[in-house]
Amino acid sequence: MPKRKDIKKILMIGSGPIVIGQACEFDYSGSQACKSLREEGYFTILVNSNPATIMTDPHMADITYIEPLTVEMVTKIIEKERPDAILPTLGGQTGLNLAFFLMKEGILKKYGVESIGASVEAISCAEDRELFKKAMQEIGIKVPKSGIATSLEEGIRIGLNIGFPLILRPAYCLGGRGGAIAYNKEELAEFLVKGLEASPVKQVLVEQSVLGWKEIEFEVMRDCVDNVIIVTSMENVDPMGVHTGDSMVVAPSQTLTWEEYTNFVNLCKKIIRRVGITGGGVNIQFAQDPRNGEIVIIEVNPRLSRSSALASKATGFPIARVATKLAIGLTLQEVANQITGKTTSFFEPTVDYCVFKICRFTFEKFPKTERVLNTSMKAVGEAMSIGRNFREALQKGIRSIEIGRFGLGCDGKDKISDEMLKKPDSILLNLIKDKIRIPNDERIFYIRYGLKAGLSVEEIYELSKIDPWFIDNIKQLVELEEEIKKFKNSRNYNEINISVDLLRKAKQDGFSDRQLAYLLGCKEELIRSFRKKNKIKPVFKPVDTCAGEFFAERPYFYSTYESQEEARVPLNSKKVIILGGGPNRIGQGIEFDYCCCHAAYALKEESIESIMINCNPETVSTDYDTSTRLYFEPLTLEDILNIIDIEKPLGVIVQFGGQTPLNLAIPLYKSGVKLLGTTAENIDIAEDRERFKKILHKLELLQPPNDTAFTFSQAKKIAKKIGYPVLVRPSYVLGGRAMEIVYDEQTLEIFIKEAAEVSGEHPVLIDKFLEDATEVDVDLIGDGSTFVIGGIMEHIEYAGIHSGDSAMALPTYSLSSKVLEDIRRATYKLAEELNIVGLMNVQYAVKDNEVYVLEVNPRASRTIPFVSKAIGVPLAKLATKVMLGKKLKDLGFIKEIIPKHTAVKESVFPFNRFPGVDIILGPEMKSTGEVMGIDKDFSSAYIKSQIAGGQNLPKKGNVFISVRDEDKNKIAPIAKKLRDLGFNIFATSGTANVLEKSGIQVKILPKIAESRPNVLDLMKDGKIQLVINTPSGRIPRQDEVKIRSHVILYNIPYTTTIAGANATVKGIEVLLKDDLRVKPLQEYYKDLK
Amino acid sequence: MKAILMLEDKTTFFGEAKNKGEIIGEIIFNTAVVGYQEILTDPANYGKILVLTYPLIGNYGCNYKFNESKKVWVKALVIKEMSRIYSNWQAELSLDEFADKEGLFILNNVDVRSLMVYLREKGSMYGIISTDEFREKVLINKIEEFKSRPKKSVLKEISIDKPKIFKGKNQTKIAILDLGITNSILTQLKNLGVTFTILPFNISSKDILKYNPAGIIISSGPEDDVGLKEVVGNVRDLIGTMPILGISTGCQVLALSKGVKVRKMRLGHRGVNYPIKRPNSLQGEITVQNHSYVIDRDGLEKNNINITAFNLNDDTVEEIESKEYKFIGTQYLPLSGGFDEINPVLIRFIQLIERS
Repeated sequence: MPKRKDIKKILMIGSGPIVIGQACEFDYSGSQACKSLREEGYFTILVNSNPATIMTDPHMADITYIEPLTVEMVTKIIEKERPDAILPTLGGQTGLNLAFFLMKEGILKKYGVESIGASVEAISCAEDRELFKKAMQEIGIKVPKSGIATSLEEGIRIGLNIGFPLILRPAYCLGGRGGAIAYNKEELAEFLVKGLEASPVKQVLVEQSVLGWKEIEFEVMRDCVDNVIIVTSMENVDPMGVHTGDSMVVAPSQTLTWEEYTNFVNLCKKIIRRVGITGGGVNIQFAQDPRNGEIVIIEVNPRLSRSSALASKATGFPIARVATKLAIGLTLQEVANQITGKTTSFFEPTVDYCVFKICRFTFEKFPKTERVLNTSMKAVGEAMSIGRNFREALQKGIRSIEIGRFGLGCDGKDKISDEMLKKPDSILLNLIKDKIRIPNDERIFYIRYGLKAGLSVEEIYELSKIDPWFIDNIKQLVELEEEIKKFKNSRNYNEINISVDLLRKAKQDGFSDRQLAYLLGCKEELIRSFRKKNKIKPVFKPVDTCAGEFFAERPYFYSTYESQEEARVPLNSKKVIILGGGPNRIGQGIEFDYCCCHAAYALKEESIESIMINCNPETVSTDYDTSTRLYFEPLTLEDILNIIDIEKPLGVIVQFGGQTPLNLAIPLYKSGVKLLGTTAENIDIAEDRERFKKILHKLELLQPPNDTAFTFSQAKKIAKKIGYPVLVRPSYVLGGRAMEIVYDEQTLEIFIKEAAEVSGEHPVLIDKFLEDATEVDVDLIGDGSTFVIGGIMEHIEYAGIHSGDSAMALPTYSLSSKVLEDIRRATYKLAEELNIVGLMNVQYAVKDNEVYVLEVNPRASRTIPFVSKAIGVPLAKLATKVMLGKKLKDLGFIKEIIPKHTAVKESVFPFNRFPGVDIILGPEMKSTGEVMGIDKDFSSAYIKSQIAGGQNLPKKGNVFISVRDEDKNKIAPIAKKLRDLGFNIFATSGTANVLEKSGIQVKILPKIAESRPNVLDLMKDGKIQLVINTPSGRIPRQDEVKIRSHVILYNIPYTTTIAGANATVKGIEVLLKDDLRVKPLQEYYKDLK
Repeated sequence: MKAILMLEDKTTFFGEAKNKGEIIGEIIFNTAVVGYQEILTDPANYGKILVLTYPLIGNYGCNYKFNESKKVWVKALVIKEMSRIYSNWQAELSLDEFADKEGLFILNNVDVRSLMVYLREKGSMYGIISTDEFREKVLINKIEEFKSRPKKSVLKEISIDKPKIFKGKNQTKIAILDLGITNSILTQLKNLGVTFTILPFNISSKDILKYNPAGIIISSGPEDDVGLKEVVGNVRDLIGTMPILGISTGCQVLALSKGVKVRKMRLGHRGVNYPIKRPNSLQGEITVQNHSYVIDRDGLEKNNINITAFNLNDDTVEEIESKEYKFIGTQYLPLSGGFDEINPVLIRFIQLIERS
């Protein structure tokens, strides 16, 4: 069928900020969709609130809105742009829900907008639990026994009827948010309340537990003439009970027979037809009883999903691209398979490798939360690895998630030593068994410990319900490890006694040189040279969608230890390697992938081949057509050097992937690799505290007094000398890991220990903490002779809160011109001194009109995409060209742009995933993503950023205020403004006294322990519309914590800083005065010229 | 022990074998991820050296109920990695044990990806596997000697020796010419409720008519067997008298009996992901295929035989139909789409019978 001619303008909805359950996979799918739509000549309008996306680059769509993803704002866009259709299936659950609510409120009908990709009926059928259950029963597919609860009483009745354990799933919720397993009536009641709150339609599915069953997923596509294909099957290594987003997953499924597979396919076809997808894809999740093969359906996602991104990368089949083409009426036969260049999309990919997905967690950021996995997703990122067997893929996967491990154990970092495991006592054995029985992020390591401690495959299966096939493969690794260990050096560390055959076998099973060095008692370099000498080198095999049946035109590659090289490396072409950022984590996410993609685009413009190395399946950088050649590999020295060996690039770009590649800069340099841009020497100056201090001194720049310490006693002395409070942090870390503000010696001891652990062999840094200072971020680009500031951003929160968690505005809104001049001068001095070629980020603190340098990062910062979007200049792209030798003058960027509009970046936090965690901000970064508000002035931009970040700021109602003593004199003007705007103020006695003294009318609430109704009751009843609560100190009072956890539970807008409160009140004022307007990026950019 | 696989062009691959042995045969591949037992027991693969491109084999073990016929017909199985354990609730024994019982030689630990890519570039080939003899000249001579042997039909070995009847609840009677019929077809016929008789491959047309069938199915089986000539002769007499369905090799028999030529493809279609399309339609099917020969398009057109489906990848003929001759032929295997579902072609065939 030819593509539809009755539609011309299509509105695409993005997925907003990166949150747990919704990460950059939707930038990947959205970008592919944008490209596909424009390829077919449709006028494309895009809305997304996340500036750190490729999809919001101004050339991706015809019109790009960075606006909050709310019904109100999108309605305004629809009103203005009048699209013929809306494509809601590529923006995750956010996009789908938004389309659904636009439909419910009659907006789509009013403006004659059709939902393509998935009709409103199809969305309802898959998402509405009741309709879904009915539909499945109609086509004879079993669903777990269940009932829909819309109230607590109803939920308990249903639950008691089915029997425990029970799974609770709130309807229309992302990533299993609010989902839980209840083992008794008390838990059932507790989780029902939470679930009903979490569900936007106040529905919770109470379901029979299929814990321990196999979890099998399929990606299925269907076109408008009813052709259906299966893209791939996937088998979760972790059985039912762990959210699939948290599970280790293999593709294809490993333990299904032909008959079972065919039966699953049969069900998939029935389901996609019944749900009524007529141009798109679905993800289907089944549970299968491993004892008798009984199958029940768990869930259908009528949209692109995290799993479909994984399925795409695992098979080479671009699901998002194809889904988009199907949505506009093309059929599978009409969409070419660009990987093979020969076949069409009407075929089913087949693979000749094993794909493994493993998740990255950040429990260390939220120490108060239990380190267990359940049906509510907690992973912040993932890595995909490919091997010729499961063991190789598993070990590569563990290396890929960058948790400091180099494979499955035996890398010198095991928590339990071999000696202890040889004769485990009952305490240790019980610990191991518990860690295997209760799903957690370290389970895979404990399975290894269990095997070493003598547990059998069968015992581990009984404990974990992980299929014995996987456990036996792990056992093979343990056996091989024992075999290798026999050749350990006892005296001489420069020898290798292992046989070439055994070494080759170890490499085929994914052992890293680092692991082998540990097992054999020698240096990693020695293993490498020994391997090379004996020709044990990896070859690169393609992901070609067809298991080698056709010669693929555009495959991507993975390494393995087989006989024939299949990488196609042109001998004489110019090429540059870009090191990606690896799995998403707090502190390193989509912003860096954005930069890596721009590097690839820039190289293409300069006719240089771009070689991407990355292992994150969610990203645009690992899309098959982003770079010239893509290597799906872990980002470790060994793996990167292997690729450098065959590619022989002009150089390597380490500036863009965040801290991961930057940490590799020096080792790569030492291995003789040429780094493009700022030299390794200058990178080291910026990263090394002592060297950096000297430079600052030389440049006559201020720095908060600071020193470095290796021990607590050293630290104590330093702190005394520079005076409390001090900021304690490890060197070479990301996202303020283990960073703390310390007010006294006692706490200093605790945190020095923690920081030293994270810091490893590097010293701990101790800085004087500047209280109430304004923090400023500056991004700069330099070509070695010309340096241009990209943007100066003023933080809204005061220094002390991690810059990744602060809201910030560009241009600045309160700094004097003198301070700004000082900042500029300092920035240029630093850039010149470090001879920056590429990007640099500097963080400053401004106190009493003095400018202090906090840190310098000689690389792309988290704010690069935000600045690029705000000023309309692709900084990362320019930086790449500069690294290749171009001059900024030639590139036409020689002057700092200070826009007339204001852009505000706000951070988004995962607190709702970690029950019990306090929501206050500090020097350790906790946010997962960001949004941007853009408007004519600061207040409007700020309010947009708040709405986009999910804060549903009120226009009227009740505000609860409770601030610490230090803030009490600052709160009165804020409260007064709120009164003037018509809000009622509630406070407890302390704050109320201060406010009353300033003549502000306050309703006094009792302290929580004193009497009721207290503020918690009011919050539960929906009577509080805004909470202003600043934390009292390092160890917060119980009351505060309860208030703040209720804020999250009941989704009440809040702020925990005075600066934030100020900005919020100003924003509310704007909201009351004037309606917010929408304006596309392209128009803002016109005004800049 | 170490074993060699040498191709007829002297290219060598190495692997490991548990048992001693020497196997010579044509090398075929299959790109399916699951289904090793089904492929091994499909008589169409008689005497072949089977290479599976998926590297992890044996994961879910074996169960005799998954056999496509009474035994394994493949001579040697070449794989990357034999799973050490099997895990599936239906498994009765491991693939290794199954192979031992069935006398199947397994060459393990081979870089099958490289082998597949090589065959893709060079076309299909004969090869020899040996655990004792590694000298190139000797091995090549053995392949040459094997290839020069006079061709002998294997159909007798595969086909049923005397007619066997299955009574269904349905009165429709079908005769099956057994060139290597598979259980996945028989199961569907049983589910359809038809009464069918499985007949020896070389039964004469007269004898077929004695069973008074309403339709005939010519099954899949070895493609280049010399015994097919006899089958073609018998079938020729029956064409037009009643509906006939030819499956894979059976389809080629139909074409040959109308004088249409078949030719061998460079590589063959062997896997579970082959798209076919109907002429002038955007609808198609993903099919399971296991054939090396294709029917000549021009010949079909000259004989007024309709091509009702093409292979979407290479445009080869995958399904033919003739109203005049009352036959349907499928190059692909009309397997069930899971559970008790019947392949649409079998339904079409039954409808054709009911109409005539």
